[in-house]
Amino acid sequence: MATAVLPQPVQNLINELARLPGIGPKSAARLTFFLLRDGSNQALELADALRDLKERTRFCSVCFNITENDPCQICDDDERDQELLCVVEEPLDMLALERSRAYNGRYHILHGAISPVEGIGPEDLKVDELIHRVQNGSFRELILATNPTLEGESTALYLKRILAGNDIRITGLARGLSVGGDLEYTDEITLGRALDGRSDL
Amino acid sequence: MHIKHLSLTNFRNYGRLELPLPAGAVVLQGNNAQGKTNLLEAVYYLATSRSPQAGSDQQLINWTAAESGEPIIVGRINAQVETQTGGRIIEMRLIRERNEGRHRPYSFRREAVVNRRTVRLMDLLGNVRVVLFLPQDIQLITGSPSGRRRYMDTVLCQMDKRYCRDLSHYNKALEQRNALLRQLAEGTGRRDTLPIFTDKVVELGSRLFVRRASFMYELGREAQRIHYEHLTSGNESIRLHYLPRLQENGLNRGGTVSQLTALSDFLYKNEMDAGVVGEYFQSIMQATLSADLARGITSTGPHRDDWMIEINGRDLSYFGSRGQQRSGILSLKLAEIDWVTTQTNDPPVLLLDEVAAELDGQRRALLLEYVKHAAQALLTATDSDQFPNDFMDRATLLTVANGRVR
Repeated sequence: MATAVLPQPVQNLINELARLPGIGPKSAARLTFFLLRDGSNQALELADALRDLKERTRFCSVCFNITENDPCQICDDDERDQELLCVVEEPLDMLALERSRAYNGRYHILHGAISPVEGIGPEDLKVDELIHRVQNGSFRELILATNPTLEGESTALYLKRILAGNDIRITGLARGLSVGGDLEYTDEITLGRALDGRSDL
Repeated sequence: MHIKHLSLTNFRNYGRLELPLPAGAVVLQGNNAQGKTNLLEAVYYLATSRSPQAGSDQQLINWTAAESGEPIIVGRINAQVETQTGGRIIEMRLIRERNEGRHRPYSFRREAVVNRRTVRLMDLLGNVRVVLFLPQDIQLITGSPSGRRRYMDTVLCQMDKRYCRDLSHYNKALEQRNALLRQLAEGTGRRDTLPIFTDKVVELGSRLFVRRASFMYELGREAQRIHYEHLTSGNESIRLHYLPRLQENGLNRGGTVSQLTALSDFLYKNEMDAGVVGEYFQSIMQATLSADLARGITSTGPHRDDWMIEINGRDLSYFGSRGQQRSGILSLKLAEIDWVTTQTNDPPVLLLDEVAAELDGQRRALLLEYVKHAAQALLTATDSDQFPNDFMDRATLLTVANGRVR
């Protein structure tokens, strides 16, 4: 007796979706059947979007941002300060800094932070590329804007150490109070860092 | 400080409990396995965010609720606390959620709430401070160094959030350094990143060393006063030795007193200057570097600290009688009460699990004297007859039976 099986294309999509982070076999099946039943072109639009994601994006060869055109918009923009370089862990960190509208220099994206526990060393990040950029560029300041985690801070310390001899000012982001926050509700460690880094008014 | 009201939901054998508590001594009486110790555990967990029992925190959730098949089970410990500076409501939630289609069937997380605001787990610590007495406290003397380190950490974390934060960062930095050492031992990994993690271990580790040294010094002073004056009528001297793992080959207990105290004195004197300690720690790390590289593990640092008690100049773990060991631990725990009280100007809540039955004579009298004067003390006993009449006259008696308290 033949048992009922799913047609291969349906099973294929379920398998592929189930490999994504945060999606289990049940959710994958639900999404697959949603796309199968959908009368409009949603499934094909999704397919096009996925194809474009891989075919029309690449890393910028200068800063390693994700871009459609190489070099990316920011690296290509002559209006920006060419002597200021900000180093971040991920593309999303760069977008966060852009939203601040407070920065008008260039970026370098490391694509991670040093973490031996996860097997990530400098060779797995865009560190050699950064060294090359600094040595061959005319930057006056390097802003190390890694996350204030153990891994992020360690990465910044490592970069500071290996870039030290380059006649370039190396800075880090200030740690302290959040704007619109309340002194009373700020934890004492953050408050201590804010006091250490107080500035003239 | 004292707890005015304790409320439990799905915690251990309690499905639901609303328990108003008076200040002073409260005796929880009941047969075995009725839930007396679980009440103390709930309060201890709220104070320290850890259980005195080994085992996973998931096991704290009421078993019947956990088996009910509900997708989300929430265990809750809630207490109204009165302190010298005002009242507060603190709560710990233990949340178990069913995962769909994952290899792990459940996920588990904890939430801390102070005055109805969700806070970080670390910010729950210190809102209620406790000193816990257990019959197995004697294992602090005879057991492993890890238990003695846990003792220092638990007391200090209740008192000092900065210590608690440093400890958790230290453990992360140590984990990263050890992972890198292992990779280097296997011929992978980048040697030039090692100094970064070594520096982090040194920076954070120095603060732990210094904090522990001053704590153990002050605790030892209180313990000596109690032991010499009150517990042995001038017959016995007690000394607490902090043994920091801050040298190449480690201190062993067989050293002379001056050897034992040289390093902890150095740390205590440099309490205000972590830089001096950091420099020394860094030099030791350099001296042990080749050994660390060969073994793939960090051999020096506060993660390998120890401490010991001496009575009349002799190591209590080797030479003490059972009775002397009990006295030693009692002096230590009473010193902890006095130390916490001095540091905070607010006496802690005492939790005593079947301890009175273990002690006799002068030891028991002294302990009950502390209990009598405590802002609040919760004591468990199978039978309130274990306590003298004049003590019970002033205490509140509650009966615990099958997850209910009357």
